[in-house]
Amino acid sequence: MGRVVGIDLGTTFSLIAHMDPQTGAPKCIPGPYGSNLCPSVVSVDPDGKIIVGEPARERLLTQPDRTIYSVKRLMGRGVADVQDELKLFPFRIDPESRNVIRVRLGDKLFTPPEISAFILRELKSWAEKYFGEPVERAVITVPAYFNDAQRQATKDAGRLAGLEVLRLVNEPTAAALAYGLHKQKRGRVAVYDFGGGTFDISILKLISTDEGEIYQVLSTNGDTHLGGDDIDNAMMKVAREAIAREPLGKSHLPGEAVQQLRKELIRAKHELSGSDRTSVALSMAPAHIDLAIDRSGFEDLIRPIVARTMQPVKLALADAKLTPKEIDEVVLVGGSTRIPLVRKTVSDYFERPPHCELDPDEVVALGAAVQADILETGVKTMLLLDVTPLSLGMETMGGVVAKIIPRNSTIPASAQELFTTGVENQTGIDVHVLQGERELAKDCRSLARFQLRVPPGPAGLARIEVKFLIDANGILQVAARDLRSGQQHTIEVQPSYGLNDEEVERMLEESIEFAEQDFAERQMIEARTEADAILHATEKTLAEPRAAGIAASELSADERRAITESVAQLKAAVASTDYKLVRQRIDELNQATMRLAEIIMNSALQTALEGKRLEEV
Amino acid sequence: MSVTQTRTNATGPTASAKCWSCQAVATGAHFCAACGKIQALPAGADYFAFFGLPQKLTLDPAALEAQFHKLSWKLHPDNFVRASEFERNLSLERSSELNDAYRTLREPIARIEYLLLHLGLRKEGTTRQQAPPELLEEVFELNESLDELREARAEGGDTAALRERLAEAQQNFLQKLEDVDAELAAVAREWDAALDSGAGESQRSPLLARMNEILNRRSYIRNLVAGVQKELTEV
Repeated sequence: MGRVVGIDLGTTFSLIAHMDPQTGAPKCIPGPYGSNLCPSVVSVDPDGKIIVGEPARERLLTQPDRTIYSVKRLMGRGVADVQDELKLFPFRIDPESRNVIRVRLGDKLFTPPEISAFILRELKSWAEKYFGEPVERAVITVPAYFNDAQRQATKDAGRLAGLEVLRLVNEPTAAALAYGLHKQKRGRVAVYDFGGGTFDISILKLISTDEGEIYQVLSTNGDTHLGGDDIDNAMMKVAREAIAREPLGKSHLPGEAVQQLRKELIRAKHELSGSDRTSVALSMAPAHIDLAIDRSGFEDLIRPIVARTMQPVKLALADAKLTPKEIDEVVLVGGSTRIPLVRKTVSDYFERPPHCELDPDEVVALGAAVQADILETGVKTMLLLDVTPLSLGMETMGGVVAKIIPRNSTIPASAQELFTTGVENQTGIDVHVLQGERELAKDCRSLARFQLRVPPGPAGLARIEVKFLIDANGILQVAARDLRSGQQHTIEVQPSYGLNDEEVERMLEESIEFAEQDFAERQMIEARTEADAILHATEKTLAEPRAAGIAASELSADERRAITESVAQLKAAVASTDYKLVRQRIDELNQATMRLAEIIMNSALQTALEGKRLEEV
Repeated sequence: MSVTQTRTNATGPTASAKCWSCQAVATGAHFCAACGKIQALPAGADYFAFFGLPQKLTLDPAALEAQFHKLSWKLHPDNFVRASEFERNLSLERSSELNDAYRTLREPIARIEYLLLHLGLRKEGTTRQQAPPELLEEVFELNESLDELREARAEGGDTAALRERLAEAQQNFLQKLEDVDAELAAVAREWDAALDSGAGESQRSPLLARMNEILNRRSYIRNLVAGVQKELTEV
């Protein structure tokens, strides 16, 4: 079956971790550049080659129109949802796309799950290299406040990357799992998770039972569009205003300059967590900027953003029926919690210093590895009981939403609804499923619409029971049953956002092609390396006077021509992308040089033996 | 979101009287006594039975929580990742039922509503919208004040005095809500006593009818309070 890994598919960085059997502790797996962090950046070459992580991040500067970052912000969302985002991010959305966004990278279009799948595939390859065996099953983390469509999109991404997603785990809950192992905590814990693109707060109760530890989530809240990116954007705005005041500053900034500026500002942001002042100097025509930033100016700038995190905190506490004083431990997660103002805001509110012993960038991936281990070996010492972040409802008369599963219900959770016809000979009953807390359907997130088909008959005769079930991943399942016949009732669901099954299937086929392409690429690299070695050896031999002398005296003209031709043909093959051709030409060159090699070997042997007595041999 | 076609159902005909795995006689327990395999939910089971409890309305919250945790260990899908798809679905069904049951039974009012719903005395989502006779006068006054407030707001007039009057009325109704809850708790205790003494249908059904009537009144007052709250918070 292979191992189960834990993956934190983050807005800015992604990580992969596993439970180390030697230490019994979770551990992150490093990538080829030595770091555990894989920048969540994907770039597409003109020839279709996919580049992920650190090398892709470098391309943000050199090839911004072929490179995408923060794709997590687009997961499970429609075009109408991301209009605000588009003002700040250089995403190039295909104007044709509606309920599934399609992003243009170079001359190709990709959906967010496909792009996320490239990141997952990269992480998977890190783990496979590390273990020396295939990795096919994973636990992937999602922001606790992700809705059904965002979760489904994440699951689709896993599938497209060739991973069976055993479980989606909420990020703050994963962090609590990692911390629990680390500290054996008890009582009520608040996990404040301020990452690159999302903010989550979860309130948990840690219970010791005879069977083991239970991590029961009491409530969760958050904002799927509040993160370190917003701080970067606020800094960008100030910097661009400063540029605009410069002569020529009003002219359009090229993509490269914008990315360079963003990179510098992020560096400055990081520096301000440790020092009181920093500066940003950038000269890239037509932009020129020389900004001095001090800690207090930075804090004034980001105070409104940090303040926005406190509203979800208050709501989560109210739902858990707790006051800030009743919280025993506060855990900080996510890179943005390194900012001193964030730490101060949290510790002032809860009146206690927060925990930050574990690396806030790694803690979620480590927790995912803990859950992966639980699923792999069975529930033994820990059990996680998570909740659904948003209420599930149905549209009723007048566009009002009737809630059927309240938010913060422990999952799996279910509700059954009975449907019947209102008028005679009605053949269908429309059902509209939504997620959210608002009263009107138009203000909630539409999940899906479907129609229950019924045979014509008197009003009220049909009796169709629909079971809505939110599974342990927080994803909704719907099943319908005709109560009169007892038969399963077929429903065709049109998801409001995200991919339908056929689309996922088609992408899956394409991703297998990608996998083949990856394989071909690796083969090509290996064949090229071998060809280079043999070409180098052949040319070196022929350049050597003694060997050249042997070739001239011992080989026929045909044999000599065969060698020159084979060398030329192998060189031509190396320039192509056909690894099979390279292999064939290597074989041909080996054949052509075989007799020459034999003669040289023999002659070398003779030389070596000359002057030595027989008994020495 | 996904559509499932193979799921068994809580009240479905798939819940059989025999263990699906070893054919031993099913007792309605979570696991088969003979082979230990997880079982389908039997038809017509209620949340009380799921926890192995009688249909009594007074519950020890700590004992209920402890039982919830105990059952979670056994039924949670985490335990069934490597089981067959059929067993995974049974785990999903049982653990969702467990969570639904706990969510309902831990709240005293929801517990009573559920009992009435389960016994067929109450329909989900239906609440009588007529004012209870004894409240008619006060409700009439309240509605008048609400109209005045809306009018004053539309004309940009001074609303402070009206707001104060409404806040007072709201307090009055909140007090009534507390009274109603006390009344409901008293009848619930009567119901438990009737169950303990093995009282028959003729003694039990008037108690159920009374609880139903009180719940209707409660829901009416709650809507009233919520309505006032909405007007007061609107600027």
